[in-house]
Amino acid sequence: MLEILKNPQFDFLSKARYFIGASIVIILAGLAFMLSQHIYLGSNAKGYGVEFSGGTQLIVKFTSQPQVDRVRTAVNAVDSNAVIQIFGKPTDNSVLIRLAGTDAGAAPAPAASPAPAGEAGDTSQLNQGAMAVRQALDARYSENRVAEVSAEVVGPVVGAELRRKAIMLTLFGLVFQLIYIGIRFKGAIWGAAATIAVFHDVLVTLAFLAFFHYEITLNVIAALLTLVGYSVNDTIVIFDRARENLRLKRKEPLRQILNESLNQTLTRTLISNGVTFLSVLGLFLFGGEVLRGFGFTMVVGIIVGTYSTIYIASPIVIWWQERHPSPTGTRAASSTAKAAL
Amino acid sequence: MPPALQNPFVLWLVLSAALAAAAWFGIRQELRWRAILYGAFLIACGVAIWPPYDRGEEPGKIHLGLDLRGGIYMVLQVKTDDALNVTVDDAVAAAREQATAKGINFASARRVNSTSFVVEGVEPARVKDMEDLLHDFARGWEVTREGENKFVVAMPANMAKDLRQKTVEQAKRTLEQRVNQLGVAEPVIALAGNHDDKIQVQLPGVKDVNQARRVLQQTAQLMLKMVEGEPATSQEELLQRTGGRLPETMEIVQGQGDTPGQGVYYLVRREAIITGRDLKTTRVGVNNNTNEPAVSFTLTPPGAERFRRETGRSVGKRLAIILDKRVTSAPVIHEQISGEGQISGNFTTATADELAKVLRAGALPATLDILQELSVGASLGRDSVRAGVVASAAAMAFITIFMLVYYRFSGVNAVVALAANLLILLGAMAYGGATLTLPGIAGVILTVGVGVDTNVLVFERIREELRAGKTVKAAVNNGFERVWITILDTHATALIAAAFLYAFGTGPIRGFAVTLVMGLIANVFASYFVSKFLFEWVLGGGGSNTPPAQFSI
Repeated sequence: MLEILKNPQFDFLSKARYFIGASIVIILAGLAFMLSQHIYLGSNAKGYGVEFSGGTQLIVKFTSQPQVDRVRTAVNAVDSNAVIQIFGKPTDNSVLIRLAGTDAGAAPAPAASPAPAGEAGDTSQLNQGAMAVRQALDARYSENRVAEVSAEVVGPVVGAELRRKAIMLTLFGLVFQLIYIGIRFKGAIWGAAATIAVFHDVLVTLAFLAFFHYEITLNVIAALLTLVGYSVNDTIVIFDRARENLRLKRKEPLRQILNESLNQTLTRTLISNGVTFLSVLGLFLFGGEVLRGFGFTMVVGIIVGTYSTIYIASPIVIWWQERHPSPTGTRAASSTAKAAL
Repeated sequence: MPPALQNPFVLWLVLSAALAAAAWFGIRQELRWRAILYGAFLIACGVAIWPPYDRGEEPGKIHLGLDLRGGIYMVLQVKTDDALNVTVDDAVAAAREQATAKGINFASARRVNSTSFVVEGVEPARVKDMEDLLHDFARGWEVTREGENKFVVAMPANMAKDLRQKTVEQAKRTLEQRVNQLGVAEPVIALAGNHDDKIQVQLPGVKDVNQARRVLQQTAQLMLKMVEGEPATSQEELLQRTGGRLPETMEIVQGQGDTPGQGVYYLVRREAIITGRDLKTTRVGVNNNTNEPAVSFTLTPPGAERFRRETGRSVGKRLAIILDKRVTSAPVIHEQISGEGQISGNFTTATADELAKVLRAGALPATLDILQELSVGASLGRDSVRAGVVASAAAMAFITIFMLVYYRFSGVNAVVALAANLLILLGAMAYGGATLTLPGIAGVILTVGVGVDTNVLVFERIREELRAGKTVKAAVNNGFERVWITILDTHATALIAAAFLYAFGTGPIRGFAVTLVMGLIANVFASYFVSKFLFEWVLGGGGSNTPPAQFSI
């Protein structure tokens, strides 16, 4: 049979401290970068897609290849702070235009109705920016006609609500997974280790998203939640193996058992994660402009998720068990394994 | 399609139950019966999918989301305060009328906010009468006396809540009717938001955002009211005529299309003779004087009766046709009119047609604000489909080659299992009418990844068992048995994550969660049970002893 590795015997865990150190450095660098550049963190932070920040985003398809300068001149008449960039391949003839939040153009509320409490701005004016851009392009760049406009317009209230919801759900998702693992392994430390590893993955991935100037969109949030599932999945495969080994070889220390389990599942880790990695790499490369952020998040996430199982989750379990050498720790795990099987 | 299955949770449960039953029964049967059971299941899925995309007249079975086929998505906020205001205004008018009828004098009666009004300066001798009157007529409302001769009348909280809810429901019904008039295929109009005070509208395939916006947002509140005297160019001029103060039975309405400060203003009676509710039919017509497009309408019998009576009484006066608080025209009544009329203004044939349809569907009980709007052009959608298909095909091709090279004959098994997985996933989506979005395609690709993982877990475990010197049959049995728990755990945690994604639920993300959950469920069946069956089938079921050297894995 064709084998990538024959009977691997790597000593993963003795070097764990260096990797943990490296992870901490990346996370701190990422946080420092986000704070200094006002990306993702803090009030009025940049880096959020239009669905979270509110505002207007247009994808304008022209009949022939557009000159970005001409588009910019035309759009500047509407909003001088507009962001304009080529969208997709040059042959797509498309340009992405992003207008800032809607609060700047908020019209005074009609005097007749008393202002309802709690509603920010007059949202009936929401789409004005999009219409003005369309008119400006028709008027000032008329030789290259607009073939099709796709638009996303989000009011400020919706954006803020969505952001709050996204954070809540990520946290809830993690908590429920922790509870599930805790119950399945009859020990909170296993669930806690998997959860810390997942937090690590999310933070590292966010750092990379910030370094490469990706916007956090709904799709990126979906990718982050998927990667949470993946990372936990990877951790469980190895923890399950450790649970089984604990039952078979009670005398050996946990450190050795975990290291053995990592080696036993190493081929599977490489193949499965390698294949998934290549699938999402395909998504990143060929999935089109709309899915690029999703693809990037998954590409980074799969690597980080694989790494964190070995160098974050496993060392945490060992560190804890070596400091709390209660016999119930391993016994409990092994009795669960029996019950479960 | 059974409507209950449109709820994804029901669909997931039905799918899980069907697959669990197939797996549970199958595993107890002889190989031959298992083959028939699994085969029938997969064929049913294949039939459900065919044809997957639109082929000529026949619509495709896989529903594409807005992001893939183009269309418009909007979230509208129902300003329920509007409806409350109208209710309180009506109450004020009724209170005033009744008090006047009983000869009770008072200084003023006016609305304070959207749930209450005050009656002030009641003549001291009749305060008790006024209190009785208010209690009597505003049954259920809270009447409190403040000071000597002032009453505050407030709508109780539960009544306001009921009214808000009814307003949202009525707005939704009106939108449904209007969208029907537009002739959109497969529209979605649903309540949304934490308090169900928002309405989500999806119009697949609709291109003109502005038209959609007009049709959805226009209140379309039609009122025909009598004009007092001739129109004036300013509000002040009209006020002078009434002695500087507007009588409570009158109001000033601006002419259509005029800018504030300059234009035409009309002094009209507050009470409407005809409202949108009195309309029987509406259609596009032509104004006989100007030859311009107009909207002709006919009235219901009671409306027509009232219209004839009032116009007969007011020959020579002007009648204001007020649409959404603007006077579109105010023709002079030359003779008694009965059952029909015409709205003229600055219409093109298209806008007249639109107004006719909107009026036919009825007025909205409140204004709608657009909170969020997404429009996707058809060609952007097509590009996305192409990119998604290319990415999926690339992933599938790579995985097929890799599995065949690395696991040789057993790789065929894995590829068959993956194909079965996709077949079940798409079949369930087609059967339940679930929508495939662009993130949904990403979900399909991830499903493929999970499927490969399950296969690899099993295959690697079988190899380990073989290395440990087990017979082929024992190795296969042990391999499947040992990874069962792991597969259960990994799928359970992934399902937890996916369920939260669904709960997060905004259009495209829901599409992702829906495919991911069904992919996970389908995968347990395909990559475990179908794969296990294939191994047993190739190894000859019974007690054959393939030497480990000849076992291709």
